[in-house]
Amino acid sequence: MKKNLLVKIMGLLVIASFILAACAPAATEAPAETEAPAVTEAPAATEAPATEASSADVDLRWRTRPDNQEEIDVYSQISTELDAQLDGITLTYEPGGSEGANYQDQLRAEIAAGTAPDVFWIPGTDVADFATRGLILNAADLADATEGYTAANFYEGPMFHLTYNPETAASGDGSGAVWGLPRDVSTFALYLNLDLIAEAGAADPRELAANGEWDWEAFLEVSQATRALGSDIYGYGASAWWGPYGVWLNASGGGFFTEDRAACALNSEESLAGLDFQRSLYQDYDVAVPYGEDPEPGFRAGKVAMFQNGRWATPGVRTVDFNWDVVELPAGPNGTPGNWLFWGAYVINANTEHPKEAWALVQALTTAETQGKISALGANIPSRVSQEALDAFLTFTPPANNQAFLNGIAPDADPTAEGPLWAGSWPEFDKIMGPAIQGVLTGSTTVEDFGTTICDEANKAFNQ
Amino acid sequence: MTAQSRIEAQMNLMLRIHVVWRGLVALLAAISIGVIWQRMVETPVWQKILFSFVCVLVMIFSGYGAYQISKRNHAGRMVSLTLDYLGFVVCFVFALNVGEFFIGIDALGENFGKGIPYLGITVLGYFLGMLEEYFPTKNKGAENSLKTVSKWVMLGGFVLFLWQVNALNGIIYFLGKLAQPSGSIAIGGLVIFGLSLWSMRQPNTAQALNVKTGHEQIINGWLFLSPNLLGFLIFFAGPLLLSFYFSFTDSDAIRTPNWVGFENYAKILNIKFVTLDSPDQLARDVVDIKVYDEVGRFTFGNTGILFAAADKFFWLALRNTLTFVLFAVPLSVIPALVLSNILNSKLPGMKFYRAVYFMPSIAAVVGISLVWQWLYNATIGYINYFITLGIEFWNNLFNVAVVDPKIQWVSDEKTALLAIIIIAAWQTMGFNTVLFLAGLQNIPGELYEAATVDGAGAWNKFWGITLPMLAPTTFYVVSTTTIQAMQVFEQVFILMNPAEGPNNSTITLVLYLYRSGFQNFQQGYASAIAWVLFIVIFGLTLIQFQRQRRSSIYES
Repeated sequence: MKKNLLVKIMGLLVIASFILAACAPAATEAPAETEAPAVTEAPAATEAPATEASSADVDLRWRTRPDNQEEIDVYSQISTELDAQLDGITLTYEPGGSEGANYQDQLRAEIAAGTAPDVFWIPGTDVADFATRGLILNAADLADATEGYTAANFYEGPMFHLTYNPETAASGDGSGAVWGLPRDVSTFALYLNLDLIAEAGAADPRELAANGEWDWEAFLEVSQATRALGSDIYGYGASAWWGPYGVWLNASGGGFFTEDRAACALNSEESLAGLDFQRSLYQDYDVAVPYGEDPEPGFRAGKVAMFQNGRWATPGVRTVDFNWDVVELPAGPNGTPGNWLFWGAYVINANTEHPKEAWALVQALTTAETQGKISALGANIPSRVSQEALDAFLTFTPPANNQAFLNGIAPDADPTAEGPLWAGSWPEFDKIMGPAIQGVLTGSTTVEDFGTTICDEANKAFNQ
Repeated sequence: MTAQSRIEAQMNLMLRIHVVWRGLVALLAAISIGVIWQRMVETPVWQKILFSFVCVLVMIFSGYGAYQISKRNHAGRMVSLTLDYLGFVVCFVFALNVGEFFIGIDALGENFGKGIPYLGITVLGYFLGMLEEYFPTKNKGAENSLKTVSKWVMLGGFVLFLWQVNALNGIIYFLGKLAQPSGSIAIGGLVIFGLSLWSMRQPNTAQALNVKTGHEQIINGWLFLSPNLLGFLIFFAGPLLLSFYFSFTDSDAIRTPNWVGFENYAKILNIKFVTLDSPDQLARDVVDIKVYDEVGRFTFGNTGILFAAADKFFWLALRNTLTFVLFAVPLSVIPALVLSNILNSKLPGMKFYRAVYFMPSIAAVVGISLVWQWLYNATIGYINYFITLGIEFWNNLFNVAVVDPKIQWVSDEKTALLAIIIIAAWQTMGFNTVLFLAGLQNIPGELYEAATVDGAGAWNKFWGITLPMLAPTTFYVVSTTTIQAMQVFEQVFILMNPAEGPNNSTITLVLYLYRSGFQNFQQGYASAIAWVLFIVIFGLTLIQFQRQRRSSIYES
């Protein structure tokens, strides 16, 4: 009887401990010391956050979407350092996203439940949706009160959208809108398997680019030469999403939207010409990894000569056992490669209880110094327009030809900034566009049929 | 005053207090209704209606309970216990919420995990104390020492455990939160409802209210059922009804939803069939392209019929889902039936094979899908590699020139859905095999013996005995596999990139509702899709039930 009572008491105590263990704050361990980037390589902070810290300590949670454990470690370390640097603010870093939990889906669910972090990262295409639904804070007043803040410190493309005021259609400093600050930028390049290209006897794309001869024709020649090496060797490979196919449309002078981004332009003559050239790579010349197949395993296995991807693919490519480098995308009929300026931004939860502190954190996360540390991983390019930051980025090798990425976002290359649709719904547009383009590139739809019907459907994604 | 009359007086007082308490609860519920509609201006209407409904129920039942208690009727006790129990549970959950228990899951994982080894010490201490029961000794001194050591080991282990799970911090944090006004209300509610429950459960109270043994058994039955019942109501029936309500709104899960009536359903079901003048006539020439999109066209000769819909993705998803069901169900049921007959034999090693075939069913879908993604890769995947080897072997052997098809399993719209069907069938087959095996083992052996005596062959036995006797199992297997297939999602979501597949060839209903609800902020519309899916599944299951009832084989 006594023993039964004892067991019951113990059981109850364990249940009570179970509850209390959940209530007690987790004792988060400091992240392991990661290999810090050389101090000399990282650019100095160009400006310190100027917002005054409040007198009382406030807890802030922030989140990004890291791609791997190395990035998680670096962001954790940055969080620890900023925690010490920002007076009166205690930071908790939450790496978001996993194989089973899509970053954005999880974030949306948490916003709906009211448990989203104070500061979080979102991709550029989501900014309009989040802003117009009132999910993220317009920090214009905080930015105006911040000494030294100007949108000109960052790349123009992202800042156009991050300072876009949907009520007045104004953008830039004084527009009355600041939705966040860009975490980093990126762009496409072609990852080259130099061994395959040499074996095929094709011209080195890097030399062609240096001589100004790197255009679609030269690209096709290299692709065909390497494809001829064997039935399992491909000249070119790209993943199946809007980024890779968009560049071909951009490079021929077309694009997804009209100039004012208020209607579909997929059926313009230029867009269709770009799409047709890309289709020919898959269907006529058969030089590309079939559209919809993941080309990365093939590239890493040494069976793809040119793999189109962003800077974020670099850490993974660094593990391959063949000679590789990168080159900018070939110039299209329009004279430019039609590349994208990819970006994502740190934004503030509209329901945060500490907007001032959250804004201070957003600024601290986007200083040149912080961006330099993250760039050292090789996954992205600093979003600040700073020669120091770019010089530091060039030292993070391999690839040897890091300049190819910077060429992609240089003003001469006229990159198109990844951007949200302020006059419509990007997810809706993408939902219609993606499968239709896939139909063309896999040969089940002709370019002509695509052009005839696509904008009838896609224009429904814009506000009627 | 005798002791008996004193007890009766006390009981009368107690029952009067209960009557007052029930009346007070009813009054509070009535006041709450006024507060909900007067003060909670920003609360969505559906929440106001829901809260009001609950308050009305509490008001009615509490008032009824007060009346019955005053009449010394056992029904008053039943009502009182039910309401107080629910009130106690609500206050307990509210207290946990105030103490931030529900958002402390990370802390729970981290803190509790650290304490588990020390819990082992406590268990060790407990077993030390048990030793004397298994190894009795005449030395009382040694026995007492062992008990003392056992107690101290248990205590020490438990203190270490509490230390490791950060219980002290937890208590301080929890109490700090409970010190807030909302926390005090929760604790106050816990105490009052708890006392009322305790008082009502007392035998004297039961006796005073003329409770019979049968009444007590009913209460105990409901009490045991309550955790499951409450879980069902809160986590299943509640969201189900809520999603039904949302399906009539424009909810985006964030802002207050607006009532839109049947708009969502109308959009889903808004379809048009139009005769075409020529097979290649454009949709925009025959339908209002601002409303409709072409889903497909049926052409014959120089004419055809265009199928257009306001939401073409729903109809594409329905088409793909039904195609998936049409192939995946037979492919995961018929081979399972054959396999179960083979595995039902008494050959050596059959248990091993049973386990092998069952393994895909218990493996994580995410892992399986990622492995298949590699296998299906058109350029470096093993499936195409072996097909190429096979064709080369064939060509060399017979000196022919069969062309390697180089199948693009997931990137060709003709094969993408097939790729998903293969995975689903492979994964479900093992589980169905086990179900069929269980059914086979329930068939009396005498039937087969009698059939053998009558000269029946293996095929006749299978057709005449096995299949009819397996009819209930087959019905269950087909029904559950169909329902499961109608809800296909994970394999598509992980395997395909993008998940919709080439030309929307793998978009399924659940995938589409997920996209709408969680990626496009269209919770209202997604709820409507979910209810249409429910109706489709319900319809299919109903047909299966009716067919089973009419089945002469089963009846016989």
